[in-house]
Amino acid sequence: MRLTSKWKLSFNIFLTFMLLSGCGFKDIDKRFFVVSIGVDLAKNSSKKYLVSLKFAVPKTTRESPAEYQIVSEEANSISEAVRIIKTKVDKEIDFSHTKVILLGEELVKRRGNAGVNYWFVRRRDVQSIAWIAVGKPSALAVLKVKPTSEYFPSNALFLALGKDGSETPYVISEFMYDFKFRAIERGIDPVLPIIKAKKDFLEINTVGLFNKSKMLLELQPEETKMLNFFLNREEKSSLWGKKGQTNMIVNTEKVKSKYKIYTPKGKRPYIQFDVSVDGVLEETTKRIANKQLSKYEKVIGKQFSKEALRVLRKIQKAGLDPVGFGLRYRSRHFNDNDWKEWQRIYPTIDFKVHTKVQISDTGLIE
Amino acid sequence: MNDRGGRLLNRYFLYLVLLNMFVNVIIFVPKILIEYRYEGAVMGVVIAVPIGMALTYLYSTAMNQFPEQGLPEIVEQGKHRKLTILFFGTIQFMWFTAGLITLIGFIDILSRFVNPEMPKLGLLGIYLAGIFLIIQLPTQRIMYFLEIVLLINIPLISLIIFKAFINEYLSWDSILEVGTHIFTRPSLKAVAAATYCFSGYMNLIIFNRLIRGKLKIWNFTAILFLGLFNLFTTFLIPIGFHGSDGAQEYLYPWISTSDSLRLVYSPIERAIFLFLMFYMSITLVSVSVHWHVAYELIKGMFKGKISKKKNGLILGYFTVLAVLGVIYFNSLLLNRLTVYWMIFRLGVEIVIVAGFVLWARRRTT
Amino acid sequence: MPSNKVIAIRESLKSKLQPSEDLVFKEKFTKEKYLEVLYIKTISDEVVLHENVVKPFFETDSPEDFLNYLQSHAQIKAYENEQKAIDDVLRGEAVLFYQDHVFLFDCKVDRNNAVLDTTVETTIQGPQSGFSESLPVNLGLIRHRYPHTSLMVESTEVGRLSKTKVMILHDSKFADPVTVKRIKKFLGEVNIDMLETGEQLFDSLKKSNRALFPLMLVTERPDRVAVNLSNGKVIILVQGSPYAVILPTVMKDLMSSMEDIYQSYWIAKFLQLLRYTAFNVSMILPGLYVAISSYNPEVFRVQLALSIAGSRTGIPYPSFVEVLLMLFMMELLIEASIRLPKAIGPTATTVGGLILGQAAAEAGLASNIMTVIVSFVAISNFVIPINAFSFTIRVLKYFILLLSTLFGLVGVVLGFFMIIAYMVKLDSFGEAFLSALQSKPGKQ
Repeated sequence: MRLTSKWKLSFNIFLTFMLLSGCGFKDIDKRFFVVSIGVDLAKNSSKKYLVSLKFAVPKTTRESPAEYQIVSEEANSISEAVRIIKTKVDKEIDFSHTKVILLGEELVKRRGNAGVNYWFVRRRDVQSIAWIAVGKPSALAVLKVKPTSEYFPSNALFLALGKDGSETPYVISEFMYDFKFRAIERGIDPVLPIIKAKKDFLEINTVGLFNKSKMLLELQPEETKMLNFFLNREEKSSLWGKKGQTNMIVNTEKVKSKYKIYTPKGKRPYIQFDVSVDGVLEETTKRIANKQLSKYEKVIGKQFSKEALRVLRKIQKAGLDPVGFGLRYRSRHFNDNDWKEWQRIYPTIDFKVHTKVQISDTGLIE
Repeated sequence: MNDRGGRLLNRYFLYLVLLNMFVNVIIFVPKILIEYRYEGAVMGVVIAVPIGMALTYLYSTAMNQFPEQGLPEIVEQGKHRKLTILFFGTIQFMWFTAGLITLIGFIDILSRFVNPEMPKLGLLGIYLAGIFLIIQLPTQRIMYFLEIVLLINIPLISLIIFKAFINEYLSWDSILEVGTHIFTRPSLKAVAAATYCFSGYMNLIIFNRLIRGKLKIWNFTAILFLGLFNLFTTFLIPIGFHGSDGAQEYLYPWISTSDSLRLVYSPIERAIFLFLMFYMSITLVSVSVHWHVAYELIKGMFKGKISKKKNGLILGYFTVLAVLGVIYFNSLLLNRLTVYWMIFRLGVEIVIVAGFVLWARRRTT
Repeated sequence: MPSNKVIAIRESLKSKLQPSEDLVFKEKFTKEKYLEVLYIKTISDEVVLHENVVKPFFETDSPEDFLNYLQSHAQIKAYENEQKAIDDVLRGEAVLFYQDHVFLFDCKVDRNNAVLDTTVETTIQGPQSGFSESLPVNLGLIRHRYPHTSLMVESTEVGRLSKTKVMILHDSKFADPVTVKRIKKFLGEVNIDMLETGEQLFDSLKKSNRALFPLMLVTERPDRVAVNLSNGKVIILVQGSPYAVILPTVMKDLMSSMEDIYQSYWIAKFLQLLRYTAFNVSMILPGLYVAISSYNPEVFRVQLALSIAGSRTGIPYPSFVEVLLMLFMMELLIEASIRLPKAIGPTATTVGGLILGQAAAEAGLASNIMTVIVSFVAISNFVIPINAFSFTIRVLKYFILLLSTLFGLVGVVLGFFMIIAYMVKLDSFGEAFLSALQSKPGKQ
């Protein structure tokens, strides 16, 4: 008697468990993985946005090619678009593998897209470590590009932005959480890489600089490289220098930049940049004797400083701060109105750049 | 044996404190601290360290005078039986609510990040099954379990913290910016939240049964450094990732921070899942430790061994409150409530420690 | 009549040798002569003793002649000192007390041919022979490896009907007397009709008579028994079984192979790590597959997620049915290969494992990745050195699978820790099952 009642109890508990749980059980083949999302402005329509989702179609055998499906929808908000797209696909939409978010060029140039940016952060299933970038001419165009080397959809984008594949100073990749950090933090502004859709490849070598709400400035490739050095993100790069008739190219192995903000009393405040470059001589048009190397080092350094100064002034003129000078200023001042002070100081601040180049090697020959 | 035993068992004291340091992420400590980052949280943390250390030192040395005895055994011979019952009946609620907040908070996290479509009661069910299995074990065995859980998990959490510290996106300027607000008048809420990291020592009320030797000075030194490191990590790493202005927008700053870590070469790319798996076990053992204390205190209210029926009643009381808690508290309400609970807890802790130290001194001299 | 000196030696020897069951002390008389013999019958050959000593003793008339005979016999040597005599007795020699002389007669029995090779706990290096099915032989084997006076041998009977003879061995120098008392009490209370082998005691250890974890170690290796004796464990030998039971047993004993002390330090450590990994893999992996593929595919990298999704395309049922089906097939294969004659066993495994797995994937009954997982689970299960424990894990994985089907990733993690909590709860004769401070083979 006692035994049966005990069994009954356990059975009931088990039954309750079965009823309560088991929800959310959805097999992996019943899910449709979104690998990248593109958001553009809607054209010729009363709706605001054009949202495109790029789905990966799983390969059934190893040999079959990478297939994908892009579904676009115009709507006034992303969630509305997703809801409509749900009715167009046969499986459950799963955002958990969304690794790239593309914003159309037109969209980022317009003010006030906070709703778009926040949608991704607020959703629990979109990764914070998704990369975010600007698509040119539009996000959809970038999604549609299919490089031949790709063995699953959007892999080329993942590799380029994740730096697992090519390492180049012309890409400043940006994670979603960092974009949000820069969009909110006073004293540092967002930077997004611009991805240009070509016929069957993608070109990433420029960045767009944002103020808190829209893209204001697009840097040239060489300027992007400079900004990369300021941010200390990528060290493998090359520098170019000219002395008299001799052109030379230095392959850098180590680039470190440091800066300090000086506000001397009664004088104009300035930012002192110290850059140290460690590199290997890669190509010259003339033979350079090892003894003269230090001279060439100085020339390259000077050229570098000049270029750096130009980029810094250009950014300053636009009123942007991607490096985070403002944040540095705030973090070194204990008073509460430091942010207001900085806003007054920044437009007139002066830059000084000092570059120390060291060529440690001339390759196999002198 | 004696010397070895002493060294060995002091380790247990450290585990108890360490456990609370880990679990503060679930019980909204980072959230509270970050919320008051410009309004006195930094000074609050600075003040919390000496307060926490003083309470730890006073309480554990007083407890140390009764080797291998928990509070129920210490007062067993006492005359004021009714007073004891009343006292135990009241203070067990502190431990019970500590466990309950952790449990509800973590179930909320799970239902957000891991099982969004599962009803919370289902998650509660499996947790209660595990917890009830553990809290009825002898105190010694719970300590073994705690040790095993920590042993399995410490490499994992060290990896995550290490990865967070060396991350190139960690903005030290933002951390320093918050640091520049050190001279703001400390807020009580921040102090109360920060002292929670140290309050693992309170579990000695039962777990003193296992502390044989004298607690040595290195124990307290270790706690001091661990506590400083823990508070720094808990409070400032999320700020380094999400900014001095942006971090407060996150409901669970640390979970979002772990989602910001990418493990490039690991088969699991997103650190958040390692982090959540780590906290699944830490929450299990932390709630179990707190509820074991509550369970043993309630058992201490009765004389001798308790019957099966009474045991069932105690577990039933735990279950009913847990189910009600999960149904009625959403995370926003829980968060707001926890702030006041923290202040209340700090008050109760000070009263208990002061009372106990005075009482112990009178008894031993 | 023996002189006082001989009496002293005799008494001292008898007291040193402690009253073991198999210790024999015999006196023989003729009119003129008086002979005393002391030996351990389980390791001494009584036939040889009879032929060489007893027979001549009765056939010779004069005491001097017999003394001469003894002194000239090749297998008989004179007594040197007490310690050597004890050592020799423990190795199977007999002590002869004749007049005021003491002799040692070598009548060791050579039983190497009688024992079986190890088949379950095989090692690459180290001794290769196991126990036999005879109790005295087994005791002899242990004594050969453990020639110490402190080895205590007691016997009792267990089983209401079978009245099986059971021997309890321990080293009085190392074993904890409380534990020994507990074990004796346990054996006295065992409620069982027919006792055929030590493994039957598994269930009796638990109050409910339903045990999942083996709280005793059953071994076929005399070297393991000898090593464990020196670590203070208690050994139970059962008449008619080629297995010895070692008590108390903790998890570390169940995860140790004799290889650990026959291999060099780092290799042994590596093997141990391998075993603990295999333990976890075979317990968790099926559940983890269900949890990740049906609840949280975001845990994988996107490449892996897509390839699993691809390989699952077209499978007509949910992942947990798929896992159950494949695991069921694997269990059948394992059971079948135990029952099959040795000659067919490997064939069946090959046919079943390779062809069925391949065909199931091809036919769309299971995904390729599932086949890999199932074979991985099966292989890691056999890495566990103690068979009884690997059976436990075979069952445990279903518990985790159930929880993962109901709760996803949370179910796997909590299920794992619930099992750990349960193991923490267990103890074997007062020693905690997961105790960290336990004996290691070969280390004191």
